[in-house]
Amino acid sequence: MLKTLVKKQLFEVFKGYFYDAKRNKMRSKFVIAAWFVFFAVIMVGVLGGMFLALSLTLCGPLISCNAGWFYFVLMGTVAVLLGSFGSVYNSYTALYLSKDNDLLLSLPIPVRDIVGSRLINVYLLGVMYILTVTIPTEIVYFMQTGITGAKVLCGILFFFIISAIVMLISCAFGYVIAKISLRLKNKSFITAFVTLAAVAAYYFFYFKAGDFIRDLLVNATIYAENVRRYAYPLYLFGQIGEGNILWCFVFTVVFAGACFLLWRHMLKSFISIATASSKVEKVQYVEKTVKEKTPFEALIHKELLRFTSSPTYMLNCGLGIILMPAAGILLLFKGQVIIEAMERVFSDYPGSATAFLCTGLIFMGSMIDTAVPSVSLEGKSIWISHSLPVKPVQVLLSKMTLQIVLAAMPTLIAALCTSMIVDESFICKLLIVIMPMIFALFSAAIDTVIAVKAPLLNWTNEMAPIKQSGGAFLAIFSFWGLSILFAAVYMLAGFRFGIVMYLIAWSVLFAVLSILIIVWLCTKGAGIYSELA
Amino acid sequence: MLKIEHLTKTYGDKKAVDDVTLHIKAGEIFGFIGHNGAGKSTTLKSAVGILRFDEGKIFIDGKSIIDDPIGCKKEMAYIPDNPDMYEFMSGIKYLNFVADVYGISSSERNEKIHKYADIFEITQDLGMPISSYSHGMKQKLALISAWMHEPKLIIMDEPFVGLDPKASHLLKEMMREHYDKGGAIFFSTHVLEVAEKLCDKVAIINHGKLVKVGTMDDVKGDDSLEEVFLELEAV
Repeated sequence: MLKTLVKKQLFEVFKGYFYDAKRNKMRSKFVIAAWFVFFAVIMVGVLGGMFLALSLTLCGPLISCNAGWFYFVLMGTVAVLLGSFGSVYNSYTALYLSKDNDLLLSLPIPVRDIVGSRLINVYLLGVMYILTVTIPTEIVYFMQTGITGAKVLCGILFFFIISAIVMLISCAFGYVIAKISLRLKNKSFITAFVTLAAVAAYYFFYFKAGDFIRDLLVNATIYAENVRRYAYPLYLFGQIGEGNILWCFVFTVVFAGACFLLWRHMLKSFISIATASSKVEKVQYVEKTVKEKTPFEALIHKELLRFTSSPTYMLNCGLGIILMPAAGILLLFKGQVIIEAMERVFSDYPGSATAFLCTGLIFMGSMIDTAVPSVSLEGKSIWISHSLPVKPVQVLLSKMTLQIVLAAMPTLIAALCTSMIVDESFICKLLIVIMPMIFALFSAAIDTVIAVKAPLLNWTNEMAPIKQSGGAFLAIFSFWGLSILFAAVYMLAGFRFGIVMYLIAWSVLFAVLSILIIVWLCTKGAGIYSELA
Repeated sequence: MLKIEHLTKTYGDKKAVDDVTLHIKAGEIFGFIGHNGAGKSTTLKSAVGILRFDEGKIFIDGKSIIDDPIGCKKEMAYIPDNPDMYEFMSGIKYLNFVADVYGISSSERNEKIHKYADIFEITQDLGMPISSYSHGMKQKLALISAWMHEPKLIIMDEPFVGLDPKASHLLKEMMREHYDKGGAIFFSTHVLEVAEKLCDKVAIINHGKLVKVGTMDDVKGDDSLEEVFLELEAV
């Protein structure tokens, strides 16, 4: 039964890879394999490449000062942070908010199998991230020190211990969030606020990481000695990576025990939390005259209510709303330092600092992608928009419009801040504001196309369409690719024409593409939407 | 009011609805009965414009659902068998959303909401999120949203499922009131006693094909509707 449930969970996560919703049939084995290869390339290529570079930076110097264990402590910490960051909220929604909890509990399925399948799902998603750190960590270490049987065994157990730590953290936080959310009134906003605080902390440390690594490499011996003296268990933990069999088994036993206790606790508490009704404050209905809206305004308002009702939705598709103004304000204070540093590095490429700042605006702008899961989130209630006297194109454009409305002000603030700090002509400063605004329109249009072309309507957990669907991955990686392309084309050829011409060219390109996409949405896109059921 | 002519809809190789023709006039309550999977919901959804069909024509108040879907939808209301609604909204927000889409003025919508919410005794729950509603309450909310804009035609799929006896009784009264005002109602049901008492006309569908259509008296003769239905099912 456990195997069946795990298969069901994983099928739901990767449903888009197996099933062609448009043709209403399973994809061929070749296409399924191609999707998974694409996914693996993205994970290994992007995240793995980043951590390979970090491993190469740290490993040699730390081993040379006889602190190989410290290398494993640092990389292990990175793996734990990455894995936990991706899984904390996932464990809460996957365990306690799945819509099929009631159904599964009513069937003759042991609770341990239900909890087990959910936990395996959380574990596997965590492992996906952990592997992008631990594999480069081990490869670089083996390249530096050579391979022995003990090192390979300990390397494998090092990975399992890290995954156990991530699992413990994810489940503990998931449990705490579940308990707290049962008592909260405005839990969507509070959950989003707390998570944003965590994200802010994450980015703070992320931006400090460069300084920290430089400082670490200069004073590696001192830091290693301090860790050994004041946090001895970390020293022992680091020794696992170096092939210390004894501590490897000690830590394995300790964390296996901790996982067992977690398992017992989850089993005990699952039913009471999963089936508990959260506190719903009795809202007294007071009849009042409401402002009438046009059908299109009503549709946009409905999309806004959907967005603000879900912390998962807000956090995954609206992060840019906070990040863009924050980055803009940061630029006002630190912008000159950043520009000077870039101009020093790319002195042969005039205007490159401005081009990179605009790349940043595009990248952060793409973090506002509320339209991507918006069609999927209609789910089983899609009959409402189909049966009401509204045109499918109005429904699609309302989803696109909300994204534009949400992106407009943050984009404007970030773009204005950017244009204020660059030492460019007035025309260029104007284009720094105009281009990202047109991009906001373009990204909203593209995201709406993805929404209607890759819908996932039969979900049991809203995490699936928001975070785990093929459409969500496509949107993220497409815009990452576009950001890289924007910077790369400038460095390859764009600088020859000057930054002004370059920004005009992209503005025109985004505008033309936006018009073409909107025309498509109004014709074919609307037709596709009207047939979704 | 509703003309369905030679409607055919297939799912893959299976014909869910096969050459169905039905005419429902203004001032008629039309019952649609059949076994599970007979094609009732497919016919209703096609009439509402939710499902694309392969062959045939559907007209609502003279307008084609294919050529003028918005015009058709303005004249009707639909209640599905399982009212999955916008759970992120409160009941009142949902009703205001529907009212905005139909262009109902503030004063009129307040009056209608007040009237029907009081009838179904959910006025005090309208401020609560729909996610906290029971199945029956969602059904009541769907009924209010349907009646609120005074449609000429109401299409309902199993409207009595999930309603308590009192609400079922109230719904029957509302259906009669709508009928008295000259409105048309087309609904599917498994509750044959209700169909027998309420409907002027009835259609029985079996494996996608209409096997009997007509006035209640024509269809059942001296037997009960249940006997006729079971007899036709056995053929």
